[in-house]
Amino acid sequence: MKVAGGTIFAGVSSTYAFRILTTPGEGLAGDEIVTTGHRWGMVIDLNKCKPGCTACLDACRHENNVALFGDDRWDIHWIRKVGLHKKDNPGVGEKSILLLCNHCDKPPCAQVCPVRATYKRDDGIVIVDHHRCIGCRYCMIACPYNARSFNFRDNEEWPNKERPKRSHGVAEACHLCAHRLDQGEMPACVEACNAIGAGAIYVGDLNDPESNVSSLIASNAVKRIREDLGTEPKVYYVGL
Amino acid sequence: MNINKILGGKIRILAVAIPVLFILFPFGYSAVASLMAGNVNDAPLFLEKADSEFEECVRDATYMRYHHWELLRYVREEVVRYGKRGDISLQKCQDCHKNREKFCDKCHDAVSMTPDCFECHHYP
Repeated sequence: MKVAGGTIFAGVSSTYAFRILTTPGEGLAGDEIVTTGHRWGMVIDLNKCKPGCTACLDACRHENNVALFGDDRWDIHWIRKVGLHKKDNPGVGEKSILLLCNHCDKPPCAQVCPVRATYKRDDGIVIVDHHRCIGCRYCMIACPYNARSFNFRDNEEWPNKERPKRSHGVAEACHLCAHRLDQGEMPACVEACNAIGAGAIYVGDLNDPESNVSSLIASNAVKRIREDLGTEPKVYYVGL
Repeated sequence: MNINKILGGKIRILAVAIPVLFILFPFGYSAVASLMAGNVNDAPLFLEKADSEFEECVRDATYMRYHHWELLRYVREEVVRYGKRGDISLQKCQDCHKNREKFCDKCHDAVSMTPDCFECHHYP
């Protein structure tokens, strides 16, 4: 058996060859499917949102390694402040709103994705599987909120090593900090907004009538952006 | 005049023997080479030893050696699609195998693999 290199290899490959057909990690992934039951939604109270404040934007960039190259062509935004003014009366009633992925119930980005990299989880979060994304940018064209960005180049900065960054050539958007919600924490923007004392952003379970977002929606005149498109967004604005 | 008659039939033996030797050469070569290399199991340890209090990895060493990527890929789908964040992740690997250059890259380099995990996932 000294000429045994071949024998050992043959033994190993026959022992393990058929594992490919089974589920290799059975029992090793988390047992609990956390995506059922919930239906995450967001309420943004624009009356409490402070003008000029960028706490949530900075927190998001740090938490999720969202790239900022300093050039409008390549900058990536998951959440941003957009100024609004009236068409007929500019200068009156100007306000800025937070614009992010609306996590639509009927997401056009997921419908057009040719490789199903973008999809809606059972708990309503619209998420990009960056492993699967081929970078065709259909989703960016389909999104009526312009909430998606494309990685035209590699991001050198890596502030939060716990979380992955994205490589060159994939589309990305807010995933409502799914990694935090899965573990029972609140998204980074919510925590940052609460930390500075504004408390303008709320995330909660829309299925639960007792939750903070459900009661806010019930007690306030809430609006969603471009409801006429029928995408059924789940980001609600108070005071829009 | 027939050439067989001139060489007394020896050309026939050569005509068979040379191609047969040519075909068998690689087998003989690798047999001799593996004899010279000695027992495979006596080879010095190639990877850095895991630095941890745990006795074993999540699967036995042979399985991990050949199929760790299947495990990671399976768990990746579970996490990304269903949020089942369990005990396996590239972050958890780092708890024991602390240095990528002395662990992951050793084999990947030896077999010319360039997995793109580390473009986006941090591994020190």
